[in-house]
Amino acid sequence: MNRILFHMEFRMNIRSLVIWSLVIGALIFFTLSFFRTVLLYQQQIAGMVQMVPAVAMKMRGFSNINDMFSVMGFYSANNIVYMMLLGSIFAIVLSSNIILKEEYGKTAEFLMSRPITRKEIFYTKLTMAFLNVFILNFLAALVSLVSIEIFKSGTFKISPFLVLTLYTFLLNLLFASIGIFISVIMKRARPVTFFSVGLVLVFYFYYSISRMSGVDGNFGYLSPFKWVNIEVLSSSYGLEFWRMAGFFVSIAILILFSDFIYRKKDILT
Amino acid sequence: MDQSSKNIIELIHLSKYYGRSRGIEDISLAVQQGDIFGFIGPNGAGKSTTIRILLNLIFPSSGSARIMDMDVVRDSRKIRNRIGYVPSDANLYDKMRVHEFLKFGSAFYGLKNGEETIRELSELFDLDLERKIPELSMGNKKKVSIIQALVHHPDLLILDEPTTGLDPLIQSRFFELLHEENKKGTTIFFSSHVLSEVQALCKTVAIIKDGRIIKTEEIASLRKKQLKKIRIGFKDPRNIRDLSIDAVESVQTDSGKILEFMFSGDINKLVQKLSSENIETLTIEEPQLEEIFLHYYK
Repeated sequence: MNRILFHMEFRMNIRSLVIWSLVIGALIFFTLSFFRTVLLYQQQIAGMVQMVPAVAMKMRGFSNINDMFSVMGFYSANNIVYMMLLGSIFAIVLSSNIILKEEYGKTAEFLMSRPITRKEIFYTKLTMAFLNVFILNFLAALVSLVSIEIFKSGTFKISPFLVLTLYTFLLNLLFASIGIFISVIMKRARPVTFFSVGLVLVFYFYYSISRMSGVDGNFGYLSPFKWVNIEVLSSSYGLEFWRMAGFFVSIAILILFSDFIYRKKDILT
Repeated sequence: MDQSSKNIIELIHLSKYYGRSRGIEDISLAVQQGDIFGFIGPNGAGKSTTIRILLNLIFPSSGSARIMDMDVVRDSRKIRNRIGYVPSDANLYDKMRVHEFLKFGSAFYGLKNGEETIRELSELFDLDLERKIPELSMGNKKKVSIIQALVHHPDLLILDEPTTGLDPLIQSRFFELLHEENKKGTTIFFSSHVLSEVQALCKTVAIIKDGRIIKTEEIASLRKKQLKKIRIGFKDPRNIRDLSIDAVESVQTDSGKILEFMFSGDINKLVQKLSSENIETLTIEEPQLEEIFLHYYK
């Protein structure tokens, strides 16, 4: 990793990170602030929800009606989507451009005339993308914890929260790795923001539709969103080996392939 | 010291194809240490492709390229430590000010006196270090690009159309600076399609056409040995064919009384032949490099 490039990249990305953190933090806080209102109208809401099909309830991560009135049930149904969807969009947009911007911005000629190898460029930028994703996830988790403490009613167990946070972080890292991969396979340098965001949305809609339609078989796992277990109120909820392995192996494969391709790639500015 | 150790750049049967499109084909070239080497050719001839291979931005399809006896692919980091590069388009990081950009660029070399050199060069080129990059004109961006290439006093300077956007005064200062750097030992590889620049600056020149080197020659000998520009004023109109002059490369007539042509044969034989003609004027000139260049591109 190159310290000089890392420092420059951090400065270049800090504004974007602050904006995304503020927006997601605000969404988390304000959404959780409605939990008290949900509790206030618990009976009326329960009456209405009884008419909702079970599959729709399951789609939102509820196994029974009482789940809606626990703070973690509310959080996993309403808040985690911000970090799952918006966090993934942030991760893929950042990472798909962090290398490619040197090519379409035509600064690659400058950077690659410095005494720095492609390997150093690749891993410095990858580390920067992952660090940004980590900071965003850390800040979002911090805001979530503070908000839960403010708006909760009754007990709150932190371990399901930490597990869900870890899964979401890994999901974001996976999309960051997909973004890096997209950027290195592009033959001609052009911004890939729309394509990257589109890819996240396609995966998310596939995940939503597969849950809505009750297709909870293996096809649902074609979307990485499905790899995040959001059923936080399940008694057996915890880290599952196959989910963790899925994330780590996919991330590692994407990084290794991307590194290999980038080292052999013609930089056509 | 053998010949190869004196060569700072060596291209050996270098080819590059972009899919089916030709980039460069079978280029072999040697640039000697201390030279100011001109690399001329029109747009699309393969100049930038060659430079991008030297910088390891792109990989050769076949052949090899060496700088300072190091392979451009394997030893790119070591090579980059000792070269400076001015790209044809001065693209800089938009979110920076000029001094930030130059400081960032020089930080890679761990320079002790980087700031001082930046200040000296910016004064020479009349460049405001406090300006934001997006506010700079093309000429000022080019100045930044030149300073970043010179700040670490490289052993080899690779310049790709470096004068684009520079006004004549700055261009002249830049050329003076290049001569000074060359005297200190810096080898200069100067790619351009502006022939007067190459003529004014370079000692050796390679002409590239359609991806192939068609001539590598010292500028002086290229002028002396190859072509003469002949202008003959006849008393009566004459046709060049009637004169049966060999080795005539190009002909221009003006109402038949004036013949202008480029001649690449023995000048004594030509004068002998003309002695029997009724001529009023005879001018034999050194052609401009541009005229020689056009001759090669015919």
